[in-house]
Amino acid sequence: MAATMKLSTLGYAASMLSTGLFDEEFQKLLLLQNNSDPNFVTETITMFCEDGEQTIGELTKQLGKQCVNFDEVANFVHKLEGGSASVGAKRVKNTCIQFLEFCKEKNRDGCLKTLDTLRVAFYEVSGKFKDMLQLEQQQAEATK
Amino acid sequence: MTTSTVQGSPVKALIVEDTPVHALILSTILRKFHCEITVAENGNEAVQLFLEGKKFDIIFCDKEMPVMSGPEAIEKIRALGESHVKIVGVSAGYDLEQSFMSAGADIFLPKPMKFDVVGPIIQEVMNKKNNSMV
Repeated sequence: MAATMKLSTLGYAASMLSTGLFDEEFQKLLLLQNNSDPNFVTETITMFCEDGEQTIGELTKQLGKQCVNFDEVANFVHKLEGGSASVGAKRVKNTCIQFLEFCKEKNRDGCLKTLDTLRVAFYEVSGKFKDMLQLEQQQAEATK
Repeated sequence: MTTSTVQGSPVKALIVEDTPVHALILSTILRKFHCEITVAENGNEAVQLFLEGKKFDIIFCDKEMPVMSGPEAIEKIRALGESHVKIVGVSAGYDLEQSFMSAGADIFLPKPMKFDVVGPIIQEVMNKKNNSMV
């Protein structure tokens, strides 16, 4: 990826904000990339998507147990909440906040329902991220 | 304050964070201020570094981590006599500030961390470090 994001990618990123899936933290993330950290956005987004997928898998496993450890579930949700806040994935973050409330109440049905919402939001976000990275890659190839 | 105004020997920063995305973002921010960065994945790892004789000028410490939490690690680090190191508690919840400060942290910063807040903190640490070397 180029040292700074290409204008077309920044334009795509701006359109991502209008979807309601992202907030201004996402824009700040893009601005951190420069010559000394040319792959920062790719690394961060890739890490978020991989960790997030793993976390959702763990949550599915934890909530499938006969005896749910809500503290353990909350730990996983808290981790995803933090990661999503840092990359500006607003809807994922807000869903995690709702999830944590159900964990506090030890409400298994609430947790399961929110996990479904979380899964949809997360895959929507990771899909947008992947499209953005693909666009950047295509632009980089085109200017070689 | 811009990154170019930070001068002197590099600040040795320890990031104590179990979420890789946070550690990566904070590392990137701190690198812009020319910090030397070490990452510990939980409070216990951080304490072990001090027990091994490692020295740091500043610690950025998350709260909820496996094995040992941030506040617990901060208490132990201070108990080792590490009174000089600047400790910044970092967490997503504003109501967590008290647990950090009671443990011995100097500052609390909410997540996600703001780039323009980090610079002055690093500059202050650098000034103190360079003054103590004179």
